[in-house]
Amino acid sequence: MVRKKKPGIDFVSLGFIAPAFLFFTLFIIVPTIASVYYSFTSWDGLNPVIHFVGLANYKEIFTSARFGNALTNTMILTVFISILENALALILALLVDHVKWGKNFFRSAFYVPVLISGIVSGFIWKIMYNYNFGSINSILTSIGLGEYRQDWLGNPKLALIMVGVVLIWKGAGYYMIIYLASLQSVPTDVVEAAAIDGASPWQRFKAITLPLISGAFTINFTLSLINGLKVFDQISVMTDGGPGFTTETIVYLLYKVGFNEGRQGFGTAVGIVLLFIILILNAIQQSVLKRREVQL
Amino acid sequence: MRKRLLASLLTTCMVGTMLAGCGSGSAGSTSADTTAAQTEAKTEAKTEAAATTGGETEAAGDSIVTEPTELVFIFADGDEGAKASMNEIVKRFNEAHPDITVKIQPGNGGAYSEFLKTKESVGEFPDVMEMRDTPIYVRAKMLSPLPDDIVSMFKSTVEFDGETYTAPLAGENTQGMIYNKTYFDENGFTEPKTYDEFLELCQKIKDKGDMAPIVIGGQDIWHLGFLYYKVYNDQVMSTDPDFIKHCYEGTKDFTDPAIVATFEELQKIFQYAQDGWVSTPDAQITTFLVSDMAAMMYSGTHMFSQIESADPSFETGWFAIPSPDGKTRLVGGGGAGGLAISAESAKDPNKKAAAEEFIRFYYTPENYKVYCDLLNAIPSTVETPDLDASPVMMKVIEATNTADDLSVMWNGRIGKNELPPDFRNFMYKTTIEVIQGQRDIPSACDELNKTWQVSMQSFNPVTNPQ
Repeated sequence: MVRKKKPGIDFVSLGFIAPAFLFFTLFIIVPTIASVYYSFTSWDGLNPVIHFVGLANYKEIFTSARFGNALTNTMILTVFISILENALALILALLVDHVKWGKNFFRSAFYVPVLISGIVSGFIWKIMYNYNFGSINSILTSIGLGEYRQDWLGNPKLALIMVGVVLIWKGAGYYMIIYLASLQSVPTDVVEAAAIDGASPWQRFKAITLPLISGAFTINFTLSLINGLKVFDQISVMTDGGPGFTTETIVYLLYKVGFNEGRQGFGTAVGIVLLFIILILNAIQQSVLKRREVQL
Repeated sequence: MRKRLLASLLTTCMVGTMLAGCGSGSAGSTSADTTAAQTEAKTEAKTEAAATTGGETEAAGDSIVTEPTELVFIFADGDEGAKASMNEIVKRFNEAHPDITVKIQPGNGGAYSEFLKTKESVGEFPDVMEMRDTPIYVRAKMLSPLPDDIVSMFKSTVEFDGETYTAPLAGENTQGMIYNKTYFDENGFTEPKTYDEFLELCQKIKDKGDMAPIVIGGQDIWHLGFLYYKVYNDQVMSTDPDFIKHCYEGTKDFTDPAIVATFEELQKIFQYAQDGWVSTPDAQITTFLVSDMAAMMYSGTHMFSQIESADPSFETGWFAIPSPDGKTRLVGGGGAGGLAISAESAKDPNKKAAAEEFIRFYYTPENYKVYCDLLNAIPSTVETPDLDASPVMMKVIEATNTADDLSVMWNGRIGKNELPPDFRNFMYKTTIEVIQGQRDIPSACDELNKTWQVSMQSFNPVTNPQ
């Protein structure tokens, strides 16, 4: 017998939903709507008097060289880390998946950087990158490669890449876990059947494993894309957007103009533009990657 | 049924946890309140003791208040020296003025500006305070102007529309070239008397090749600002002290020859910086100096104690870099920060009189000496206290007394020469681009002009004085 649900309010369910609903509404929905409003103003973040400036902030965004520079840096960093982070994560996942002993040790070891906060990892690498006292230059000198010493974070041609290296180091372990879970769900009978039919390891990987883990690709590329577009901690700690403006990204620009320059109105407009950039890029990426997904 | 029971239990636990969180918060605030109350109680106890020991003062002098008056005093107490000196001076004041009680409330030294704003927003703005964000509070009409006799106690003060609102706690952090005296003596190097001699000295050290002539902590751009302002002072301020005001008015801009000359001179000086200066933080520059990796550093007097801590045997020398026109221009005098009186408090004649008396008392040489000695600060008063300063510190003080020009940093100026928020940082970052060759000088000047135009839309003290 199917028991009919009694009409009325289910207070227990509401009790569970309410905290999350209130939290999400107060700290996500309301600020987002407020941001749209403030993006049309010249609010400085303190003054109770707020002036409406129409589309002036958006006009400035699309004509500002500084925003153009931040957008370029963000795109370079996002593409750089999305590709290399996923490549490294997949290699690590394949290694961990195939290793005969110490599987748990390697899985944990590769995951450790994920557990370190962005600020802390930024500080650690900043010390390692230091020109005069950093371990990287010291090692280069000690092995006779002193002429390759670099001012890793001070050289405008290298700084953005070096920040990207830290992001890859820190993020690859997380994506590795997702790839690993996906690899372990690939049916062994299909792979074995292909092996019996004479398929080489590369052919098995290309024709069976890769299509079957494409769902993990979609998730990981989406996450790394969003993380690349949002990168803040490491830049704040390691370079402060410098040298000059070489590593200033959109999120860092948003923070700088909004909180340091007293231009919250412009800062929120940058945030809204970033939101649309993420939505558009994500939609493109989803449509491309979804087409490649295969399910047995 | 079991599920419903479990759900009810979980909900109860969650609500309990939330309430516990609230409880912990209020416990925290109770604790803070207790600390504050304890501090006040201690101050009161001291006051009572003072009333006993210093009763003669009250009996001997005419009281400046008509009834017992209490003042709440807040300062940034993050620094032990500041805490000790302020407590000592307040104790002395309370002993000398039994009918006035100055109560210290703990200030949050780490985030003092936010702390003071919070106090204001909850209606607990103090009667007397250490003020740092003076322009904001002056615009909000929350400070009371200081009387002329107090203003005249200082070498220089900062005015807002002809009124002074703050009594500077110390002179601005005077910067100069701090050098390795032993290295200079061993190599026969002497302090330069002209700007050209300074450049020659840098070149000689560079040619010698055993250490970098100058260590610069370029990763902290505020540190880079020390040298920037030295050159800006020589090139721009010397010819037009109101350059920023003229930029607001539109009669000058950042393609001005003086700005171009500033960039050119900085390019000259920075060729003598250590390798990796862009990524060197300010915290590391002492190591360079005491480890014989650099011969000189351009910084403020706060570095003396750091150098002594790092290597007590290090022999520190100091000189002011002469300007190209032969004059000595230094950062010094009083800035916009300092002790201030609340406008609300000043509406009460007794509180106003008591607060002004407290500030006078604070800056009398015997009391002010406590502050200057403990903080290694350069006195901002005309009547200099007899300090227990080191010889090198005395040399700096002497230099500020004999300099041709003393000024506050360009980003510390107020009124029509006040910079738009963060324009300073934009200038410093652009300077790094120029020095590193990422941008040529004309392009840097154009970019500065563009940013200036944008900044002026929201901040222009010339056309829109708030």
